[in-house]
Amino acid sequence: MIRLDNVTKVYGADTVAVRDVSFDIAKGDFVFLVGPSGSGKSTLLRLMSRQERPERGDVWISGKNVNEMPDSRVPYLRRSMGNVFQDYKLLSNKTVFENVAFALEVIGKPRHVINQQVPAVLDLVGLADKADRFPDQLSGGEQQRVSIARAFVNRPLIMLADEPTGNLDPATGEGIMQLLEAINRSGTTVVMATHDHRIVNLMRKRVIQLDRGVLVRDQERGVYE
Amino acid sequence: MLSRIAYAFRETWASFRRNLTLTAAAVLTSAVSLLLVGVTFLVQRGFDNLLVRWKGDVQLIVFMTPDATTENVAYVDGVIRSQPNVIDVNKLSYLDKPASYAEAQQLFAGDPTMLSLLTPETIPTQFKIVSLTDDSALLRSLADQYRILPKVQGVSLAEDEFEVISTLSGFVRTVTIVMSLVLLAVAVTLIWNTIRTAMFARRREIEVMKLVGATNWFIRIPFMLEGLLHGLIGGVLSCGGLWGLNRAWESGVAGFKPGTGVSSLVVPSGYVSGVMILLLAIGALAGAIGSGIAASRFLDV
Repeated sequence: MIRLDNVTKVYGADTVAVRDVSFDIAKGDFVFLVGPSGSGKSTLLRLMSRQERPERGDVWISGKNVNEMPDSRVPYLRRSMGNVFQDYKLLSNKTVFENVAFALEVIGKPRHVINQQVPAVLDLVGLADKADRFPDQLSGGEQQRVSIARAFVNRPLIMLADEPTGNLDPATGEGIMQLLEAINRSGTTVVMATHDHRIVNLMRKRVIQLDRGVLVRDQERGVYE
Repeated sequence: MLSRIAYAFRETWASFRRNLTLTAAAVLTSAVSLLLVGVTFLVQRGFDNLLVRWKGDVQLIVFMTPDATTENVAYVDGVIRSQPNVIDVNKLSYLDKPASYAEAQQLFAGDPTMLSLLTPETIPTQFKIVSLTDDSALLRSLADQYRILPKVQGVSLAEDEFEVISTLSGFVRTVTIVMSLVLLAVAVTLIWNTIRTAMFARRREIEVMKLVGATNWFIRIPFMLEGLLHGLIGGVLSCGGLWGLNRAWESGVAGFKPGTGVSSLVVPSGYVSGVMILLLAIGALAGAIGSGIAASRFLDV
């Protein structure tokens, strides 16, 4: 599903964010990218969604080399993946329903599809009764659920989550992890960047560890070291 | 498809309301610059009307009385052609009654009293003379010679009628064209800046749109439509302004005494409509250019 071959990403003249990283992620996997701040976790996620291009190496998504993909095809690549962020990236002038519907609206889905899929996904994340609220009327955990609903409403093959529990207390963070696990069980490949020891140790999923841009560990059912 | 069109219009309208002050500035600047473009066209057309007689470097016009016979005309023609070293005989032309009448229709477009006095029968015919010399004294002595020929009603010299107007026309044309071009550039820049500001205000939304897989064109179109509308609304306002100015001008000219020549500066209403359509097109184009550049350059957020 996702393959990186000897990927190197350099910012500016000499800031190496990722150095010679290779790994394979199979369809339906749940993978943690771990490491301290600045170790290259977010860069890897950005390379997968073609927000960045590597200086060397290739990134393959569903059998397609995303570095060689023409710019006009990138939106279609992104429709096959959902993105979740630490700061939620919700639109404050839109309601919960509108925020989630927005993801379908901008890819041209007709109104009847939106009216069918948005309530279903809000139900899945447990926010069916808060569809008319605005983001600032919700708690952090609820806002992250809206963000996950928006990422998942199009039923993507891949979910990329960048520190989704970073701004949440442990109990709320666990709730978010249960949600991501449920999404993973439905067949979506989940790649999550985190430095939350507790969650990694609790979930016991595959762990890819980075240190200053270098892959130092790739372990099935791993823990945070 | 329908939902995409509805989305584009909804977003355009929302952005219009959000950026009301900047939008108003962009629209008004477009309107003023387009109005000046329109005025340039009308003024030029007015001058062209006034100068229609002197087209093609004509320096002397000999008017024959309406009752001049073919023999009289042939005699005058012969006298004029007898000085090939001074007169460019190849360019010598004779406007018979229908041709002179057609010319008068343009010349006196804004002077219905004058027009009503002229008929194809009562109109003087004319010889249009291009000379080979610019010697003013020589031309004046020629004019004096022609004036005393039988059935010659009068002789007009370009130097007396044409040159002041021609210089004035050239000056006005240069000034209005330069001013309207500068103002058009300002309008395009303002539209560009308005769209850039609108995009900056919605940068978070654009970021989310890109992440969920909206195409660049889907993101761009509402902004481009917004810029196009700025130009188009500016165009509509300038058309209104031009119509009002032209009406005021027409009624002002009507107050002049007939035969003063000022009436030539009135342009036909068909021409005004043509200029208005042109203004709408230029407005839309200016808007599309300004917003198109902005929407392409500032999409990377």
